Amino acid sequence: MKQTTAPAGAPLQTPSDLPALMGKRYRIERLLGVGGMGAVYRARDLVREQFGDPEPWVALKTLNDTFSRHPDANALLYSEFALTSRLHHRHIVRPHSFHVDAQSKRAFLTLELLAGPTLDQIMSSHPEGLPWSDLQPLALALLDALQHAHQRGVLHGDIKPTNVMLCESDVRLFDFGLGQGNEGLLSRLPRLSRRRLAAWTPRYAALELLDGGDLSPATDLYALACVLYELASGHHPFSRLTARQAMRMDQYRSLQKPAHLPAHCWPALRRALAFEPAQRTSSVSELRQVFGQPIRRWWPWPQWAAVSLPLGRTSQ
Amino acid sequence: MIHWDSASQTHIGKVRKRNEDALLDRRPGSLWAVADGMGGHQNGALASRLIVEQLADLPLGANLDQNQRRVRQALHQVNHRLTQEVTLCAGRPAPLSGSTVVAVLAQGRRALCLWAGDSRCYLWRQQKLYLLSRDHTLAQQLISSNISASQAARHPNAQALTRAVGAHEVLRLDASEFTLQDHDRLLLCSDGLYRSLSLRQLAQSLRLPTAQASIELLFNLALQGPAKDNLTAIVIRPTPATSPP
Repeated sequence: MKQTTAPAGAPLQTPSDLPALMGKRYRIERLLGVGGMGAVYRARDLVREQFGDPEPWVALKTLNDTFSRHPDANALLYSEFALTSRLHHRHIVRPHSFHVDAQSKRAFLTLELLAGPTLDQIMSSHPEGLPWSDLQPLALALLDALQHAHQRGVLHGDIKPTNVMLCESDVRLFDFGLGQGNEGLLSRLPRLSRRRLAAWTPRYAALELLDGGDLSPATDLYALACVLYELASGHHPFSRLTARQAMRMDQYRSLQKPAHLPAHCWPALRRALAFEPAQRTSSVSELRQVFGQPIRRWWPWPQWAAVSLPLGRTSQ
Repeated sequence: MIHWDSASQTHIGKVRKRNEDALLDRRPGSLWAVADGMGGHQNGALASRLIVEQLADLPLGANLDQNQRRVRQALHQVNHRLTQEVTLCAGRPAPLSGSTVVAVLAQGRRALCLWAGDSRCYLWRQQKLYLLSRDHTLAQQLISSNISASQAARHPNAQALTRAVGAHEVLRLDASEFTLQDHDRLLLCSDGLYRSLSLRQLAQSLRLPTAQASIELLFNLALQGPAKDNLTAIVIRPTPATSPP
């Protein structure tokens, strides 16, 4: 019978279902996050530690029990590793390696360890949305990351606030666990497994995914548009509704421009949120272009305005 | 200035295949928590662990009210993740994943208990045992609507939780604030532990001079029974620091 006593200062138990040492090399230290399919831990790489690396930690991802019993489980995790490995972008997480732990037969992958708040944490401290000066660089980083992935033929498949982290003011998109390579790319990887394992996060899934359709750049666009809207306004564009529920209630018609969003960004963002793929005529590159524009001032700031401001508030 | 003597233990019990309980004994910072996970496969264990990890990482300062806000915010975030940001698979029911939580924060003699679900916080004071938390269970709900405790206990779903982290889109936490006295003891525990013991046995354990001794007796007694559920407990004892000579 297993018994653990937690001494003060070491309050956490090792997860009961995972070997404490994975692949004879990575010592699991703590749980960082739980997704629908897997869990991510912080682990210490004993090899790096042996060579005196002052930062020997990695993020270690395994599939949870439900999925690790799936016949394609290891291949599914491998495809996440393979897809992520094909991306080289400062705003996309960097993978290290893929392994199968011989003893437990569990596949796992290691990635760079990210530290910082995820976007859902940022939003919970900004209920009114982010000011444009914060929103713009964040949006551009995300749009650049997704544009890069799409150019390399990789679809993310599960863009949502918990899959974006802000690390020391640098943005990282991660979790390509439901990602997919387009035709031709990675053709020998188990693409079919994705179809058998159709999965999504309801509030960020485009209508066609809910209807059994395939991932596409347009489904990623819809999810990212939901996240951008949420960052700008502090709330999801269709609150707690899925695309299908929101469409039935005709919520698109009543979408309001978030107060912090410059007017010139709104038409493209609004089109990116269209339920029907045919009407989602915006694109990642179009959003990138409009979000990158400086705010237009239609009227030059008049000289006399500075003078008429209350004392002490002039800009000079 | 208050120092803390605390001790904690978690045990899988004699029947369950995994331990879905998790605990946090964060003595610098004065934050303690017990979480009891629920859900199929390992989901419950992950949910309770996620709660504890989030609380372990929380920056805590000297202001109890601010610390309380941070703890609440962290628990709401875990709830949000477990309810609204979960990846679902076509043709499968939503993975049920959640956890109870009971947490105590202290600053000097001021202390605060926050909870959702049926994990409990007891206070042992001057030879009397007080329950500081009130279960969020169907039985407790029935009792609150004037049904006798014995009748409520007979309800087939008496132990069903009415609140937990991850159970609903909006998490409602209960809180009770209290002032600690010399010789007080606090006990945080999962239902596996308190359902295994009588009130007399709880009192008998908390009466002992050190937190570690209390923990050992609690587990010895609980493991003499069938121990069908996971068992987790933290005992906390404020010890007024002796003034320097």
